Amino acid sequence: MSPSAEVILSASDVSKAVLGPDGKLQILDRVSLSVPTGDSLAIVGASGSGKTTFLGLLAGLDNPDSGEIVLDGNPLNRLDEEARAALRRRRVGFVFQSFHLLPALTAEENVMLPLELEDSGGDARAAAQKALAAVGLDKRLHHYPSQLSGGEQQRVAIARAFVHGPRLLFADEPTGNLDARTGRAVTDLLFDLNQASGTTLVLVTHDLTLAQRCRHVVRLDGGRRVEEAA
Amino acid sequence: MNIVRFAGRALRREFRHGELRTLAAALVLAVAALTAVATLGQRVERAIVASAAELIGGDLGVSARREIPADYAAEATRLGLRSNRSAEFPSVVFAAGKSQLAQVNATDVNYPLRGVLQVRGGDGAERDVTAPASGEAYADGLLLSALGLKPGDALELAGKPLVVKGEILRQPDGGQMFSLAPRLVVALADAQGSGLLAVGSRARHKLMLAGDATALATYQAWAKPRLTDGAQLVTVAEAQQNLRSAFERGESFLRLAALLSALLSGIAVALAAQRYARRKIDEVALLRALGLGKHRVLATLSLTILLLGLPACFIGAGLGLALQQAVLSYAGNLLPTAAPPPSLWPALAAMVVGLAVLVGFALPPLARLRDVPPMRVFQRAIAMRPRRFDLLYLLPPLVAFGLIASQSGSATIASAIGGSLAGVAVATLAMGLLLIWLLRRVGRRLPGALRFGLANLARRRSLSLIQATALALSFTALLLLAVVGPGLLAAWRADLPPQTPNHFLLNLQPEQRDRVEQQLNALGAKNMNLLPLAVGKLVAINGKAPRAEDYDDRRAAGWINGETRLSWSATLPESNALKAGAWFDGKATEPQISVERMWVDMLRLKLGDTMTFTVGERTIEARISSIREADWTSFRVNFFVLLDPASAAALPHSFIASYWLPAERAAELRAISREFPNLSMIDINAILDRVRDIIDQVTSAVMAVLGFSLIAGLLVLIAALNVSAEERRFETAMLRTLGARRGQLLSTVLGEFALLGLIAGVIAAVGAISAGLSLGRGVFRIAWTPPFGAFALGVVAAVALVTLAGWLGTRSIARTSPLLVLRKE
Repeated sequence: MSPSAEVILSASDVSKAVLGPDGKLQILDRVSLSVPTGDSLAIVGASGSGKTTFLGLLAGLDNPDSGEIVLDGNPLNRLDEEARAALRRRRVGFVFQSFHLLPALTAEENVMLPLELEDSGGDARAAAQKALAAVGLDKRLHHYPSQLSGGEQQRVAIARAFVHGPRLLFADEPTGNLDARTGRAVTDLLFDLNQASGTTLVLVTHDLTLAQRCRHVVRLDGGRRVEEAA
Repeated sequence: MNIVRFAGRALRREFRHGELRTLAAALVLAVAALTAVATLGQRVERAIVASAAELIGGDLGVSARREIPADYAAEATRLGLRSNRSAEFPSVVFAAGKSQLAQVNATDVNYPLRGVLQVRGGDGAERDVTAPASGEAYADGLLLSALGLKPGDALELAGKPLVVKGEILRQPDGGQMFSLAPRLVVALADAQGSGLLAVGSRARHKLMLAGDATALATYQAWAKPRLTDGAQLVTVAEAQQNLRSAFERGESFLRLAALLSALLSGIAVALAAQRYARRKIDEVALLRALGLGKHRVLATLSLTILLLGLPACFIGAGLGLALQQAVLSYAGNLLPTAAPPPSLWPALAAMVVGLAVLVGFALPPLARLRDVPPMRVFQRAIAMRPRRFDLLYLLPPLVAFGLIASQSGSATIASAIGGSLAGVAVATLAMGLLLIWLLRRVGRRLPGALRFGLANLARRRSLSLIQATALALSFTALLLLAVVGPGLLAAWRADLPPQTPNHFLLNLQPEQRDRVEQQLNALGAKNMNLLPLAVGKLVAINGKAPRAEDYDDRRAAGWINGETRLSWSATLPESNALKAGAWFDGKATEPQISVERMWVDMLRLKLGDTMTFTVGERTIEARISSIREADWTSFRVNFFVLLDPASAAALPHSFIASYWLPAERAAELRAISREFPNLSMIDINAILDRVRDIIDQVTSAVMAVLGFSLIAGLLVLIAALNVSAEERRFETAMLRTLGARRGQLLSTVLGEFALLGLIAGVIAAVGAISAGLSLGRGVFRIAWTPPFGAFALGVVAAVALVTLAGWLGTRSIARTSPLLVLRKE
C-alpha cells in the first residue's frame, strides 16, 4: 500500500527541557516534521541526541514544553491524559527495544492485551492467535516470555503492536537487543506487516541499515533536526 | 475495558507470586482473630442474657444471712408465686479418709424453679432431677474426684452420712467461674438437722420466686420496705451485671490479643502491597503507554487486591468461628450455662474490618503507581514523580487507630492503647538498633556464616528492624502470659512466710472456743489468730444515713446496703499498721472505732467522724479514733471496722480464726467437724489452687488468640523477605557464579535468621522481664526473681522459630541458578 498525501503525524517547533544536576538541559530544540499516512520514518542520531524523547512526545506519552504535535488529526497538547490514552489505545501500536512483554502472561495473552484494553467486542483470543500466526509463533501461544528467545519475544511484541489494527506504529530500537541475523529477520517482519496493513511507521534507531529501509529519515543532533533524506 | 474481568485474570495469573499469598494469609489471620474474639464475646453475652433466670435460680428472690421470715413465703403464695427455700454455705466434706471443702446448696423440694439440675447416675444415664431427698446428695465431678467417690458411695457432711445419688452435670445459679469450691446439693432438712444453719452460721439463706411478672412486681414492692438486717432482693439484672463484669476482664485480654494480631497483619499487608506495587511499575508504564488511563490503572489494581481480599476474609471468618468453638469447648465450663449457637454478625463485622485493613494498608503503595509516567517504557531511568504529601499516607495510621478504637470501645482508651503500642514499638526499634550495632561491633569475631548473616541484616536495616519489632511484640506478649504471669502467682505464694495461716474457721460459738482451740493445738495448729465477729449494718455517718449513689466506688453500695462485719481487739492486730490517731487505751468515755484505709478512702472518712451501726437489737454510735492499713495478703483475720472492746463486748457474736496446720493433719479436722457441725472450715490452699486453675483456663484461651499474633509476626517476616527477594536472588546467583557452595549459602541464610530471631527473642525477654519486675516489685510488692532458664528457653525458641521460617521463606531463592546473572546482563 503506498503512502497518501494526507499527513497523519506532524510536529511543529517542539521543544523539551529537563532539570538536571547542573541546571536546565535542553533535550529538544524546536524540532518539526510531518509524516504522510502510510509512510515510514526513521529518527536517527547518536546517544543523547533526543530521539527517544522525541518519539515519546510524538506518541503522546509526554507533553512538550512548547510546540504542537498533531496525531491523526488530534492536537495532543489540547487533550488531557485520559483522551491521549484513548487515542493510543485505538490508533497506536508500540514495539520496544526491551520487548516489554508482561512476564505473567503467555504469548497469546500478551498479544490480547491491546484488544482487552479497548474491549470493543470481538474475539480477542482469535485475533491474537491470528496475529501470532502471522509472525510464525502459532505453536508458541501458551509459552511465557521467559520460555521464548529474544527474537521470539520481539515477534510477540510485534504481533501485539499490530493486533488491533493501529494507524500508527512507534518502534524504539526494535532490533537493539537482538543479534544481527535475528534483527534482520525481525526487521523484515516489521516492514512486511507494516506494508500489508498500511500502518504509518515511525521508528527510532541508530542502525543506519534499518533507517535506510524507511522512506524518510530525520536526524537529530543535540536536540535539533539536522537533515532529512528520502 | 472490563476491568473486573481484567483484574480477575490478573489475579489468577499472579497469585503464584509470594507477596499476594502473604497478603492473603495476613488478611485471613486478622479476620480469624477478630471473628473468634467477637463471636466468643457475643456468645458469652448471650449465655448471660439467655440464662438470666437460671443465673439466680428464679425470677426474683430474697437473700439474707439468717432464715427468711415465714411471712415472705406466705405473701409469695398469696400472690400465686412458686417459691424455693435454700441455704448456701461452705463446709468441709469427708469421705474415705479424705476431706474437701465444698460449696453446699441445701434446698427444699421445689428446686430448681428455673433452669435444670442435670445429673449422671451410677448407671451412667443423664437425667434432669429436682432436689435430693433426705440422706442423699448430688456432687459435682471435682468433688467426686477429690474424694475418690462415684455415684452410690457415701460422704459425710457435718457428721451426717449422705449417699451420692449422682454427679452434677448442670446446675442453675452459676458455673464454675463463681464457685471456688466444688459443689454439693443436699436436702434443706439435712442441713437444718446438722446444726450447720444455726444462729450465727455463715450460710446465705435465699427465698427464690418464680411466676407472673405482675405478681413479681407486686411482691417486689411489698418486700423492699420490709427488708432488714442485711437482707436484700436478688434480681436478674443485678446478677447479669455482676457476671458481665467478671467476663469483661477476660474478654478485654482477648480483644487486645486479637488487636495485636490484626495490627501485625496490617504491617504484613503493607509490606506485601509495597512489594507488589514495586513489581508492577514497569507493567503500569506499559499499560499507560498502551492507553490505560491513570485512574483506571488504580481501579484495576485496587480491584485485583479486593478480589484477593474477599475470599481471604471469608476463609478467615470460617477459621475464626472454628477457633472460638475450640476455645469454648476448652473453657466452656466457666460459663453458667451452655453458650447459644453463634450468630454470623460478628464474623461479618470482622470481615468488614478485614477489608478496611486491606484498603488502609494496601492502598497507599498501590496508589503511588498512578504517578508512573508512561515515558518509562522508553526510558527506564525515569522515576515516579515524588509526592511530598499525599492524604493517602494518613490511611494506615487512621485505620490502625480505628481498629484499636473498635476493639477497645472508646476513643480515649484507644488513644491510650495506641500510644502504649507506639511506645513499645519505638522502644523495640531502639533496642533492635542497639543490638544490631552491638553485634556489628563483635561481628568480626563471629564465625563465617553468622558474619555474613549479620552483614545481610545490617545491609537491609529498615526491613530487619520491622521484622524484629513485629516478632518481638508477639514474643513479649506470649512470654508475659506463659512465664511472667504464672511466675508472679507462684512467687506470691512462695513469698508467704512459713506457717502463714492456711485454714480459716468460721461460725465458732463462744462456748465452743476453748474446746476447739484445744483440739486444734493438739493437731499442731500454729500462728492462730482468733477474733470475735459481730454482724451489723452501717446506718449513719456523722448522723446522716449514707446513700450508695453519693459515692464513686461501686463497692460502697455493697457495704452501705449490705451487712458489715465488726470485731474488736484490745491490741492492734498483727498485719495492721496504724496510720493516724491512736489505738484504744481503755480510758475513752464514748465508743471508739478504728477504720481501715480502704473504707476511709471509699467513704471519704476522717478522724473524729462518727459511724453508727446496728447489731441485732443494739445501736452503737462510735467516733473514729484511728485509721489503720491492713495487710490483706497475710491470710490473717482482718476487719475494716474494729470497735473498742469495752463498747463491743456485749454484742452478739461468734469467732473467726485463721491458723496454720501441717498438710498431713488436715484430714483429722473431720473429728472437730463431727463434734461441732456448725463450724465452717476452709482450706485456703484449695481455694488458691482453684483460682490458679481458673486463671490457667482463661490464660490458655488468651494464648490461643495470641498464637495468631505470633503467626502474624512471622508473616511480617515473610512479607519483608518478599520485598528483598529480587535482591537476594541476584546475590545468590552472583555468589554461585563466584563459586559459593550450596552449604555456604544455606549457612549464611540460617545465620541471618538466627541472629534476627536472637534479636527479637532478647528484646522480648528484656521486655517481659522488665514488665514482670515492675509488676512484682511495684504493684504486687513481692520479690520476684525472673526465671532466667525459662526466658533463655524462650529466646532459644524464638531463634529456632525465626530460623525455620526464614529458611522456608528463602528456600526457592537458594535454588537460583547462576544463569540469572548472565540473563540480566
